[in-house]
Amino acid sequence: MRTLKYILSIGLLTSTVSCNKFLDVQPLESISDTQTIFDKTSAETALRGVYSALSNGSYYGTTFQSIGYLTGDNIQWTGSQSQVQEFINKKVNADNSTIGSAWTAIYRTINRANNVIAKVPTVTDPLLTDALKNQLVGEAYFIRALSYFDLARTWGGVPLITKPTANPTENSGISRSSQAETYALVLKDLETAEPLLPATTDRYRATRKTVWALRSRLHLYLKEWAKAEEYASKLITDTNYRLVKPYNAFFANDARGTQESVFEIFYSANETNTHRGQWQPQTNGGTRQWAPNDAIVALLNDPKVGGGRSTLIAKDNQNRWYGNLYYRTPATDPTFVFRIAEIYLIRAEARANQEKITDGLADLNAIRDRAGIAAATATTKDALLLTIENERRVEFALEPHRWFDIVRTGRAAQVFNVTDANRLLLPIPVGETLIDKALVQNPGY
Amino acid sequence: MKKKLLVQFLLAILLIPSVIIAQNADATINSTLSGRVLDEKTNEPLIGASVQIKGTTHGVITDAEGKFYFKTGQKLPYTLIVNYIGYELKEVLATTSSISISLQTNAKQLSEIVVVGYGTQERKNLIGSITKVNPLEVNAIPVGSIDAQLQGKVSGVQISSPTGVPGETVNVRVRGATSINADNDPLYVVDGVFINSNSLQTIGTGGKATSPIADLNPADIQSIEVLKDAEATALYGSRGANGVILITTKRGNFEQAPKVNFNVSYGQAKAIKLWELTTGPEHAQLVNEWWINTGKDTPSLNRTFANRPFRPVSEGGRGLPEEQQTYDRLSEAFRTATLQSYDISLVGGTKTTKYYIGGGFNSQEAILKPITFDRASFKVNLDQKINDRVQIGVSNSFSRTYRNQARAGDGPQGGLLQAALHTPTYLSPTENGVLVGRAGFDNLTLLLNNYDVNSTSLRYIGNLYAEAELLPNLKLRSSWGADYNNYNESEYWNTFLLLGAQGGLATSSISQFTSLLNEQTLTYRQKIGKKHSLGVVVGNTLQSDVLTRTYAEGRGFANNSFKIISSAATTTSTQSWSKSNLASFFAKADYGFDGKYLVNFSIRADGSSRFGSDRKWGYFPAVGAAWRLKQESFLKDVGLISDLKLRASYGIVGNQNGIGNFAAQGLWTGGAPYQGSPGIAPQQLANPDLKWERTNQFNVGLDASLFNSKVSFEINYYTKYTRDGLLQLALPSTTGFANYWSNAAEISNKGFELNINTINYERAGLKWTTSFNVAQNINKIEKLENPLRYGSRDLILQQQGTPLYSFWVYKQLSVNPETGNVVYEDVNKDGQITVADRQIVGSIWPKFFGGLTNNVSYKGFELSAFLAFQYGNKIYNHNKFFGEGGGARDAARVIFASNNARWQKPGDITDVPRPDGVNVNNYRDGGSRWLEDGSFLRLRSLNLVYNFPKAIANKLKADALKLYVNGTNLFLLTKYTGLDPESSASSDQNAQGIDLGTPPQPRSFQAGLSLTF
Repeated sequence: MRTLKYILSIGLLTSTVSCNKFLDVQPLESISDTQTIFDKTSAETALRGVYSALSNGSYYGTTFQSIGYLTGDNIQWTGSQSQVQEFINKKVNADNSTIGSAWTAIYRTINRANNVIAKVPTVTDPLLTDALKNQLVGEAYFIRALSYFDLARTWGGVPLITKPTANPTENSGISRSSQAETYALVLKDLETAEPLLPATTDRYRATRKTVWALRSRLHLYLKEWAKAEEYASKLITDTNYRLVKPYNAFFANDARGTQESVFEIFYSANETNTHRGQWQPQTNGGTRQWAPNDAIVALLNDPKVGGGRSTLIAKDNQNRWYGNLYYRTPATDPTFVFRIAEIYLIRAEARANQEKITDGLADLNAIRDRAGIAAATATTKDALLLTIENERRVEFALEPHRWFDIVRTGRAAQVFNVTDANRLLLPIPVGETLIDKALVQNPGY
Repeated sequence: MKKKLLVQFLLAILLIPSVIIAQNADATINSTLSGRVLDEKTNEPLIGASVQIKGTTHGVITDAEGKFYFKTGQKLPYTLIVNYIGYELKEVLATTSSISISLQTNAKQLSEIVVVGYGTQERKNLIGSITKVNPLEVNAIPVGSIDAQLQGKVSGVQISSPTGVPGETVNVRVRGATSINADNDPLYVVDGVFINSNSLQTIGTGGKATSPIADLNPADIQSIEVLKDAEATALYGSRGANGVILITTKRGNFEQAPKVNFNVSYGQAKAIKLWELTTGPEHAQLVNEWWINTGKDTPSLNRTFANRPFRPVSEGGRGLPEEQQTYDRLSEAFRTATLQSYDISLVGGTKTTKYYIGGGFNSQEAILKPITFDRASFKVNLDQKINDRVQIGVSNSFSRTYRNQARAGDGPQGGLLQAALHTPTYLSPTENGVLVGRAGFDNLTLLLNNYDVNSTSLRYIGNLYAEAELLPNLKLRSSWGADYNNYNESEYWNTFLLLGAQGGLATSSISQFTSLLNEQTLTYRQKIGKKHSLGVVVGNTLQSDVLTRTYAEGRGFANNSFKIISSAATTTSTQSWSKSNLASFFAKADYGFDGKYLVNFSIRADGSSRFGSDRKWGYFPAVGAAWRLKQESFLKDVGLISDLKLRASYGIVGNQNGIGNFAAQGLWTGGAPYQGSPGIAPQQLANPDLKWERTNQFNVGLDASLFNSKVSFEINYYTKYTRDGLLQLALPSTTGFANYWSNAAEISNKGFELNINTINYERAGLKWTTSFNVAQNINKIEKLENPLRYGSRDLILQQQGTPLYSFWVYKQLSVNPETGNVVYEDVNKDGQITVADRQIVGSIWPKFFGGLTNNVSYKGFELSAFLAFQYGNKIYNHNKFFGEGGGARDAARVIFASNNARWQKPGDITDVPRPDGVNVNNYRDGGSRWLEDGSFLRLRSLNLVYNFPKAIANKLKADALKLYVNGTNLFLLTKYTGLDPESSASSDQNAQGIDLGTPPQPRSFQAGLSLTF
């Protein structure tokens, strides 16, 4: 009988109750998405998650940045991946993996920002003050604006997603807005963010001043010269920002968060920025697949053109030049999103376009003075604009501006010999058009 | 609660024997009987034959001299039933106390005992489709793991070895592939333990992964059964969708004298061929051509004849092409590898105990330096009879597998073949005494001298069982099994290497996989009257798998003598934990009538912790029937036909392996920090409806044996249709997610299999047998909402209407003889070549594949030749894509000799375009020029054995002595221009068939000796 009892216990063991318990296994590394942002701490950590997406290797870490400079005319490719060569050649195919991962990383950032924008305002936690709430939401709005700005200038109009994705059926199958509509959302988000954010100075996180920086760049891209000038002036007149001297003081000797910086992305030994690996030579543990080409090496080393900016490059043990903006070990190089130098050059260009030649020239010469080269003497608007264009090429030799600059000024045919206007926008990644029928490919791809 | 029940249950199992022992009262002895069982032809004693007194449960086993002895309450005369594998069952009336019984050999195929799910069966009664392999036939093939050795041996099972590195994963596909994102690997069951077959490797070696199956020592294996159709796999329910490979290890026999076997072998292996490369001058010539051509296409580049790279040194160049040297790095990287293997075993048994103890050491070098594979293993199997009705036993295998690893495949840093396939024209290994590399690739000599990546796998696979006959014919078995794997990896990159250039880099990763298994089965088998036989099995299984991992990394060491992470300047670490549980109940009933008609029905219910709360349980039924036509009166007297059987089965099996343990849940991760403070972020979308992938399988087969069993064959036709296929359904990035787990795919497989075994000649001691198998599988993705891209350069596209693993390429039609430019097919006729012009051209699936084995034996000699073949599959020669870069990769790569055939002037007819790196169209990623026919026929193994005559062996005080020599891959017929048509860069199941940076399967020669005493 006793045996029978024990045999019965086998039955018990496998009874539904214990079985269901046995089959309920919960993860330890992740949490359920049903309760994510519900108090002060979770609101703050969720916002850091948005910055983390912004700093990802596929976005401001390496990949998205590379689109900006590889497609320019300063960088050569020494590696073996032909998909990189497509940028150098300015013949990017829709199956290029760089554009695919950048697109994905940007929308991932947007979704995280949307979560903060949608959920933080609904949190009721006495510790989460209205001011802090506003700040967190404002920062998310800024990051969303930056994300759409990057999408618009790279691909043109894109699907505008402003709500977090809670289940797989949401936020897909949405057709592309126009480029103007996309820029309009950027502006709207910046206008929303501005009053929510404090007017403090934080070089690693968005503040009201960071909003001004993106606004000045946005208005420049939109050729709204007066506004570009207005927002640039707000920063230039702020004593927290100045052109540090010498030129390399903003990045050399492990510098970070200098007064040059309006917004830079923070990396540490635990949150590394692998960017250096592409630039540094082998003796420094890199691959030097991306290297400054002969033209930019000549310009940077020309004491009349490069001046102090020659510190951007260095020579390895085989006498080859390599880019030295990203060099730290461990790989903690910041990504410089807005430097005050750019703000000066934005204002110079905005002023030049408003025929304020002297004022524009003054801004330009502030940059040249810092680099230790002679002041420019352009007297006409066109001459000044050309000088600014060339100045930007050298000032941002290894930063992701050249391609976007030449495209927005409509000079790709003259400068890059790109006559096919379709090439000025990159193709929507084929991985996206294959699975979302609402996404129409850019013409010519 | 659960724990308490488990304890109670364990007590129950332990108590059952005592109850039964109590029932077993002493009986009066009425007679004794001694006897001997012999082979009818040879008069050799048959060891381990079972002798049973008819109508009782009293049975004994013959000893080493074939003798047996009864002491029984039965009175003479009585009938004995004598059973021995490979011989006809015999009933003998014993009248006196001493008897000699001769057994007649049976046609092998029919009486063969086959291990099936939760039991054994004679082949003649099989309904399902099961192939049995004797591991002795393939044991000599030096590939590290038993699954790799099986290639070509099992019809319908496609096994390809994507690498020549011993102990790395192989692809095993039983009747095609049923899933995109769930596993397509079969279930491996070792002595009743479901073992892990997914690699625990975390170190990047360019896509390859080590095989956990390589932890098993093939020398310990008694038999391997491959269960293919639904009837055969149904009792494994959710685990059986991709077939089941049952591995039974060696055990002793009761009343067997101790027997020691010692086996040693030594050999060498070498690559059959290596890549043909350009010489330094040829390389330089191509680079100059490329330079000048790109200058013509894009004048702004200012590339002209005058400033070509290979111009006289006096003009600032690297010297004229003809002045260039050729540095051969390939032969520095490859070697003649040494193979050695030692195995010793002891097997035997007493009246109540039987045992097998085995120890082995196997050491293989890969042909690519510095990769090695060493396995030491220890095995103990014990069975103990407590009384006539109760038996307990254990199976234990413990192994330590040590590997020196290297990144052979993709990726620049630490890449061996990348370093070996480097620009030949400059940088001799020790130019100016300084060992330097180029453009992202390590210097080969430094790499070979300083490579320090290794892993140690400690593996225990064990099982403890108790089996009790509760009533006559009713047997209860309970078993507790464990598969524990401690997988310890470490890397050290010193300052001579790219990865360690900044003060050195060390990593350590320790993975622990623990699988615990508990299982009960209750088996009832009864003959009712003369004609009816009935069997029932019911049982349950609980399984719990936990995988934990700790990873640490250190950078910045004082110098290269410090190698341990604690001495690094910067250290980081991570940890992970994951668990899944599975609960199952199963039942099977079979019924046979008159030995003619066999039917069975089975069902299994599986509950998995991975699915949504209402979707955890899946129910998997199967039915099967067989008709032994030979037993019918109309065939009984047809001499031509020795046996004939028709079989059919239909069933549903499930799959959940390979998906994330928490795949159904919506998750946020904590791993999104910023500024040194924690951050959280969305990780995965929920799918509460996520459920079992289900495959409906139908099989019909015919087994026939003709001409007195000299010719036997088996034909199977099957269809498999998978619904609710588990898939990481791609989501547009606008959602912020890449994909989510769903049941979204439907995939079909159908095919046939043919096995033929013949005895071609058997006279005067000479015997020649042949065994041939061939199979075809047609695979198709029946439903898939969005196409999925896999592999480097999206070379693989999974798309509705085409087979899995189809190649997605730009189809090269020709090279324009006038311009030298490639003409691609403009699929959408828009006048330009864009991604819209990529199309599917072929797949990795062969039209047919199989193997052919011939065995010839004469006196003590045995010769066997084993050919494996595959026809009609495609392979992407990605090495050649890089090697045929047309001069554009001067700084990074050697150019293959095939690029010498490039177009040079108008009128040239060739398929290799003009060197031209700016118009990337000519050397475009994903061009079809590198998609090749992967058909092959290889002599996989040639084996010659000499068994010394007993007299000689006895002089050495041994029972048997044999010497053997073995050669593998002695020839390989293929049109493929790469090194090996089975090479595949990645162990990702969706990125097969792309050959990049993979050492080929070597040719090897081995000699060995086996001694039994």
